[in-house]
Amino acid sequence: MTTTTMPSALGRLTQRRKLGPAFIVAIVVVIVLAVLPAFAEGYALTSYRDVLLFALFALSLDLFWGKTGILSFGHATFFGLGAYGIAITAIHFEIDPSIVSLVGMLVGVGMAAGVALVVGYFILYGGVRGAYFTIVTLALTLIANHVAVGWPAVTGGDSGLIGVPPISIFGWTLADPISSYYLALTVLAACLFGSMWVMGGRLGLILTAIQDDEIKVRTLGYKTPFLLLMTFAASASMAAVAGGLYAAANGFVAPDMIALLLSTEVIIWVAVGGSGTLIGAVIGTAIVWWLQQKISSINASAWPIAIGSFFILLVLVFPKGPAAFVIDRIRHLRREEGADR
Amino acid sequence: MEALIPFALNALTLISILLIVSMGMAIIFGLMNVINLAHGEFITIGAFTLVVVQTLGGNFWLALIAAPMVGYMIGLVLEKALIARIYENPLHAILVTWGLSLILQQVIQLIFGAAPQSVTGPFPGSIDVFGVAYPAYRLFLIAFALATFALTIAVFKKTRFGLDLRASIQSSEMASVMGVNPDKINARAFASGAALAALAGVLLAPLTAVTAFMGINYLARSFFVVLIGGAGSISGVAAGSGLIGSLETALSYEIPTTVAQALVLALAIVILRFRPQGILPA
Repeated sequence: MTTTTMPSALGRLTQRRKLGPAFIVAIVVVIVLAVLPAFAEGYALTSYRDVLLFALFALSLDLFWGKTGILSFGHATFFGLGAYGIAITAIHFEIDPSIVSLVGMLVGVGMAAGVALVVGYFILYGGVRGAYFTIVTLALTLIANHVAVGWPAVTGGDSGLIGVPPISIFGWTLADPISSYYLALTVLAACLFGSMWVMGGRLGLILTAIQDDEIKVRTLGYKTPFLLLMTFAASASMAAVAGGLYAAANGFVAPDMIALLLSTEVIIWVAVGGSGTLIGAVIGTAIVWWLQQKISSINASAWPIAIGSFFILLVLVFPKGPAAFVIDRIRHLRREEGADR
Repeated sequence: MEALIPFALNALTLISILLIVSMGMAIIFGLMNVINLAHGEFITIGAFTLVVVQTLGGNFWLALIAAPMVGYMIGLVLEKALIARIYENPLHAILVTWGLSLILQQVIQLIFGAAPQSVTGPFPGSIDVFGVAYPAYRLFLIAFALATFALTIAVFKKTRFGLDLRASIQSSEMASVMGVNPDKINARAFASGAALAALAGVLLAPLTAVTAFMGINYLARSFFVVLIGGAGSISGVAAGSGLIGSLETALSYEIPTTVAQALVLALAIVILRFRPQGILPA
């Protein structure tokens, strides 16, 4: 009796994961973002568009960090490869303007996926996990930054490259703020729901199991390094898409798009929203971006100090993320109220 | 043959710098297994100790004595306040020490400004080595680094502190049963690592631009020196520094230095795939 009901129970479990609260929140967020241009225009809208692209970048990190539990300290490498990919293709090669941005995106995403596959192969198949993975990816960002700064003939060195054309799909150019905003939102929504759907299914369950006990999962016959490598490559490609769209939307690339500080910031965006929730990455990016506007206006040093303090607080005060901390506090207060009655 | 001597000396200079920078890392990361991303900032603190000492009218030698003390004190305070809480979880160590690193960088920049500081080393002239003139300070640096390395090994192998530290790393519980206080040992070991990094900072300062962000250049390299040399072995640091230092010097003759650094780090990742335990494991 019990044996026959078990598979259906498991089936219900996976189905409920798909339509969980995170999914509903995601739909609400996307609807709000879709009507946002009615209340903003010009410069404000281009800022919101950049936030959407950063949210896509944060989503890509959450796809790997949140789902596998392995922290990548080098995601700016992939964002930067996407950005430099489209910039270098458009500026150094003479390609038909109607397809140049598509070719550039492909080059950037291809480079990011390639680097992720090669580096991921060496470290994931080498059995490197956890903290060592984090150090190697940290070094990866340093390497990429060294190359971006030290190879001015191609990358423009410290000043970067100016004149990246806006995204154009077979002659249909998305240059004005509204259309580039909706392009960013469409890509973000597609990646968000796509990731939620994939991670709500079998792959998500296996990755969670790997987080708990990789050896056990391998014993069950899953090729765990392969699954981790593919997730890493998918995550890197998504980061590169965000980087490529960002470079095209703003018209330039600079070495700070491939720097350690950006790798650090994206970790905060994900951590603020709560890692592993996917939609949390999007909300976290928006909250931190808003905070950054407030704090950076005080002093140029204030923002890095705020980030540093946040990391320390994250570990010592709210290890499960600020959102979980607040929810825990509210539950705690409610329980106390209930006890008083 | 004539051309080989400056090459060998340049390589030896870089190896010595890496050696002394990585020794602190070998203690904190290799032996204590704490990933300390603020290690570079202890180097910066050492270099800025020299800046302060020279501004106040002191000389290089005074700073060479003061910097390890400053590094030790700051290391001790930070260990008590933060690091002692994160020994269990490497991810927490990464986040906390990275946060610390960002804060220290900005605080140093707020105090001293963004422009590079100028410092002067001793021995301005050059010395004839087998018919080739070579800066005297660099020769001093090589000798000093080797001496510090030998002294550190001696402390580990011959003193009570070294014995207690090695014991509590092998088995913290057993060591505490035998009367070793692990909290005290950890604090002193972390502070010693910080002191060595600060010492490295003073030695480096006359050769590079002293800014609040100078430490980051050495962070990844010292991690890889320790990883490649073999985490947990002090003699592995010599092997790791030798490999990374000579490769980087050789490559810098052909391609830009930054790209050479990048290439060496990439190569280090490949080496780790095939020898994850390092060249000279403990």
